[in-house]
Amino acid sequence: MKRYFILLIIVRFSLQLSAQEWVVAPADAALKSPFAFTDSTRKAGEAIYVANCKSCHGDPGKNNAIQLVPIPPDAASVKMQANTDGAMHYKLIQGRGPMPSFKNTLSSTDLWRVISFMRGYNPKYVQEVALPTIAGAAAQNVSIKLDWNKASGQVEASLTSLKGQVSQPVAGAEVKLFAKRYFGNLPVDEARKSDAAGKVAFNFPKDLPGDSIGNVQLIVKLTDEVAYGEASAEATLAVGVPTNRPALTAPRAMWGVLAKAPIWLIFAYLLAVLTAWGFIAYVISQIKAIYRAGSKEQL
Amino acid sequence: MASEVNTDFLQDKKLDSIAADILRPVGITQGFVVWMGFLGISLMGCIYAYSIQWDKGLIVTGLRDYTSWGMYIANFVFFVATSLVGMLISSILGLIGFKWVKPIARIAEIIAVAFAAVAGLVIIIDMGHPERLGNVFLYGRIQSPIVWDVTVVITYLTISILLYFLPLIPDLAISKGRMNHTPKWLQNLYEVMSVKWQHTPEQYRLLMKAIRILLILIIPTAFAIHTVTSWLFAVTLRPGWDSTIFGPYFLTGAFVAGSAAVVIVMYFVRSNYKLDKYLTNHHFDMMGKLLVLVSIVYLYFNINEYLVPAYKMKTAEAIHLHDLFVGEYAVMFWSVQLLGLVLPIILLLFSFFRKPFSMLIISIVVLVAAWFKRFLIVVPTQDHPFLPKQYVPQAWMVYQPTVIETAITVGTLLLVLIIITILVKFFPVIPIWEMAEEQHELDHKSQK
Ligand code: HEC
Repeated sequence: MKRYFILLIIVRFSLQLSAQEWVVAPADAALKSPFAFTDSTRKAGEAIYVANCKSCHGDPGKNNAIQLVPIPPDAASVKMQANTDGAMHYKLIQGRGPMPSFKNTLSSTDLWRVISFMRGYNPKYVQEVALPTIAGAAAQNVSIKLDWNKASGQVEASLTSLKGQVSQPVAGAEVKLFAKRYFGNLPVDEARKSDAAGKVAFNFPKDLPGDSIGNVQLIVKLTDEVAYGEASAEATLAVGVPTNRPALTAPRAMWGVLAKAPIWLIFAYLLAVLTAWGFIAYVISQIKAIYRAGSKEQL
Repeated sequence: MASEVNTDFLQDKKLDSIAADILRPVGITQGFVVWMGFLGISLMGCIYAYSIQWDKGLIVTGLRDYTSWGMYIANFVFFVATSLVGMLISSILGLIGFKWVKPIARIAEIIAVAFAAVAGLVIIIDMGHPERLGNVFLYGRIQSPIVWDVTVVITYLTISILLYFLPLIPDLAISKGRMNHTPKWLQNLYEVMSVKWQHTPEQYRLLMKAIRILLILIIPTAFAIHTVTSWLFAVTLRPGWDSTIFGPYFLTGAFVAGSAAVVIVMYFVRSNYKLDKYLTNHHFDMMGKLLVLVSIVYLYFNINEYLVPAYKMKTAEAIHLHDLFVGEYAVMFWSVQLLGLVLPIILLLFSFFRKPFSMLIISIVVLVAAWFKRFLIVVPTQDHPFLPKQYVPQAWMVYQPTVIETAITVGTLLLVLIIITILVKFFPVIPIWEMAEEQHELDHKSQK
């Protein structure tokens, strides 16, 4: 019994220890970049890093990460570089605690670019590029068209790829649909696979607010960038509910800019200020009058 | 203040002795040089601290994202509060007709000018770099209480300066011929500042009218300045600030702090300048009664301000109150409430404690407590934002004022003392002509 407890405690603590490790499944860790890291990918990655990562991770090699709990590892650190490319990619997609998930913010290609930038700080690093898949080679130049099927209430995408001069449907490719909102992209429906004709139909909700004439900006993306490369399309379709709400900043209100201040407030403020300063000006004029009266007396 | 002034007192011989008493300490004395030297050198240290802030920015303070209003703003509220006493004594009590405030009124006005002037400076310090003040005028929104606050602070300061200056004019004229012991530049300054005052009935009429306007005008302005200062907090939804009685709560608290400040200055003026004849035990007794009165009113508002939320204990409010009552700020909170409010009330109910020296001690305790009270109003609320504090450096979690910040704050207090010292030392602290007039009237009545 006692032994059992000790064992339990040991297991408990080892679990806690491993909880601090960020475990990545072997399959994810083995993932490799579809393209070779070059100066141009590093340069593109730097811009992405500065915009999205630097605020927390600091400048690579300078150990000036922000003091969060846990502290974000420096990009050039042993801890960071010990990750395989796939593990980094996985952690960027997943996020953990304060480390945000970049799944919906950065494309897979951009993630690989950032990784290529961080690898630039590891002189021992030798890249292994993913073997080009047959589909990847075959399906270059995928283009997507978006349409609104009013009868079925569905948004339809058709995928084609250019092979030589001939345009062919892309079958069996997974695509996702998003609606652009103020802050980020709202996923619509599930990820779906294209049929033999390269067509995908997404169910579209009937109550999504659009602009004044119901327009919604839609984005469709191929999920498997390794196989097909980066392909996405945007279209503005009248699929939403027309919404014609005046902006909250349009009328005069307490929260508006100065030019939108409520009339009564401007009036009250000016009245108070002018009254007070009117009296002050009058008092100062009285001092002058005293001075004049005194000068007369002296004569 | 009567609007008709009987200028017979000018012929009264008593005027000479009163003027001699009050003007004796005016000018540069050894004590003044030592005291100003001490203040000046200490201020240099504080200015050095400010130069570091100028260089590096507000990062040298303990202010961070969560607690962005710390010691500076607490100090600002304290200064505004203390300055309000000018209005209480000269206007409210004076207009009601209390004669005993006459010799104190100028002291109260000096305190008003000194604290209001430096209060504006404290705000500029809190902005980080001073040129940011321009942004208030360039981008300020009339909807923002901050803009209202800037407006009323400037207005109140102007009125206070005028209210200090106008009743001083006849005194400057009286003093001109009696200042042989003072430096020449001071005599010249008196000459200019007395705006050709000849004691003509016409001039007295103009002067009394102007003073009367100011005395009335300063009442709404003073109410506005501290009510608006309270709105800087009360217009938010945050626990501890989200209160409908914040205006009167601040206002009554202001009178407590200000009355204590007046007593302290009164004490030092009386003992250093040997003016016992004018600032009598009776004046201290009356100030003691005033302090009790305003403290009781303030206690009443405190009970309201803490008991009502504590009865309801809304979640966010409960965290805040817990911090104050038994948590991190408990020692400060109870010291302020008991030593700075309850105990003074009890003691001052007895005439035994309304003697000058014990009044001085009590007033110092009250004034120090008043400062910490403002800290308790400003800081703890910000410790508990509605969204949880996560993933931020430890230093952001709790506000800890830094040495530099403290030194700068001490510097602003020194600046107040310097202004008070200069005004008290270079100009008559007690209205000579009003004393003489009052004396003349008394003598006249008894002759009849
Ligand atoms: C909000 C702050 C923040 C941002 C922004 C951020 N990270 Fe992180 N990151 C962290 C933290 C904190 C950790 C440690 C998480 C943990 O161990 O639980 C971390 C961990 C990581 C790891 C895993 C390191 C390891 O332990 O193996 C990688 C890789 C990483 N970040 C890359 C990035 C990249 C690339 C970006 C920009 C695209 C980025 N991070 C943006 C805070 C951030």
